[in-house]
Amino acid sequence: MYSTINEVIIHNRSSIEEEWKSQMLQFKEDERELTSVTNDVYKNSNTEFIDNLLNHVLDGQDEISSDLQDFFERTVQIGWPLSYVTKGLQLFRRIGLKTIVNKKENIDGIMDTFEVFDRSIDTLYEKIVTYSTQNWKDTISVQKKALLELSAPLIPVFESISVMPLIGTIDTERARLIIENLLDGVIKNRSQVVLIDITGVPVVDTMVAHHIIQAAEAVRLIGSKCILVGIRPEIAQTIVNLGIDLSDFPTRSTLLKGIEAALELTNKKIETLS
Amino acid sequence: MAVQSCVDVRNEWDIVSARQLGRDLAKDLGFSSVDQARITTAISELARNIYLYAGNGRICVEPIEEGNRRGLRIIANDTGPGIQDIRKVMEDGYTTSGGLGAGLPGVKRLMDEFAIHSTVDVGTEIHITKWLR
Amino acid sequence: MRVPILKLHEYLLISIQVELDDKTALQFQEDLLSKIHDTSAKGIVIDLTSVDMVDSFIAKVLGDVVKMSNLMGARVVLTGIQPPVAITLIDLGINMRDVPTALDLEQGLDKLQQDLEG
Repeated sequence: MYSTINEVIIHNRSSIEEEWKSQMLQFKEDERELTSVTNDVYKNSNTEFIDNLLNHVLDGQDEISSDLQDFFERTVQIGWPLSYVTKGLQLFRRIGLKTIVNKKENIDGIMDTFEVFDRSIDTLYEKIVTYSTQNWKDTISVQKKALLELSAPLIPVFESISVMPLIGTIDTERARLIIENLLDGVIKNRSQVVLIDITGVPVVDTMVAHHIIQAAEAVRLIGSKCILVGIRPEIAQTIVNLGIDLSDFPTRSTLLKGIEAALELTNKKIETLS
Repeated sequence: MAVQSCVDVRNEWDIVSARQLGRDLAKDLGFSSVDQARITTAISELARNIYLYAGNGRICVEPIEEGNRRGLRIIANDTGPGIQDIRKVMEDGYTTSGGLGAGLPGVKRLMDEFAIHSTVDVGTEIHITKWLR
Repeated sequence: MRVPILKLHEYLLISIQVELDDKTALQFQEDLLSKIHDTSAKGIVIDLTSVDMVDSFIAKVLGDVVKMSNLMGARVVLTGIQPPVAITLIDLGINMRDVPTALDLEQGLDKLQQDLEG
């Protein structure tokens, strides 16, 4: 069966290449993400693409060739749209099948040839989709890590008083990081009181409250005190309605009131100079 | 296959040896200081359980790999009386020794994975795993 | 192995520098209580800065020491608990709520002084 495909492709190689390239050029016009790519670079890339595709089919291997794999990976890495690869595969499939069908003298085996060719393109689709998905996943996990590192800063405001403003949703992974940052920061700044500001936390449910209580208990163990501030009215309502017990450590409605309480705890006072 | 190192637990000193073994491996594998403390503490709890309830047993530690994750596994086994009701020992606050009752649920919280297998009059085997983050 | 106990005026200072095994921990409990008896110390600081692991047994011994010392009329402050130790204790479900703590030896002594004067 492969021999039929090979025959067709070898005989019609230049016409397939030509038609494919001209349609790919049309595609560049329509794809906004490719406008910044120069025509020379684009044409070189197309030449490599179609050569690799033709060789893949001529080889008749089920596995993707390392050249083609390499080409896919590079395309994804330099940030070309995935549609460039999928469009190229679509056009190649369409043009290839058309060429096979047009070769009428071999009508008996035509359906089989058709299928073998179609399948070999499917493999390529799977490869590129798997690779680019993995690439996105990697990017997301790197960004997630970067975001986590930014997400729980401890800010010293007075000698022995620090504030940790929390913004956004708190899940278990983030809670773990918050506790570690909090404790390391308390030791580093020798903070006797640390204010956890939850003004920016949209939802406080049982889980979030549990994490905050654990953080406060850990802070107490290392020898400092926690004040929970930024308790908005709706948060106070949820906390009571859910039956969460926060009575073991002090809370204040605003950061300002929290700082006043912290100053009092550390025997400090702010006075207006007359 | 990775190398497994083991410590036999027969007396109180062996508890210290077991946790030192775990701490060294955790450090070598690049665990954070917090996770090192978690691993060492979990080993200490399991080794003490062996010493208190079974009389003798063994703690083994080994580096493991699964897909692109790396981690550390601890295997604690003994030929003691076994555990009658596993569900009960996994409840918070359950204790038979008058300790603080941290026990097995505490160990489970310290680690990422926890599996227990116990047969009465035959013994108990516990596998716990911590993955590198 | 024994944990050294230092006397400074009416305070006892202990810095735990050894890997605590069960026997050493219990021996320490005994030594401290007899020292309180002998010196009629009013305040005790136990510094845990060099301790990198506290399991449920050691936590119980420490908690007991605090209660026993209180019974004998001495206040105890634990200082220098390291973040990994604190996090591990919380994971284990041990919060030692009744045990006074301070960041370091200095703040521990300040705290004792305040408590004893106030």
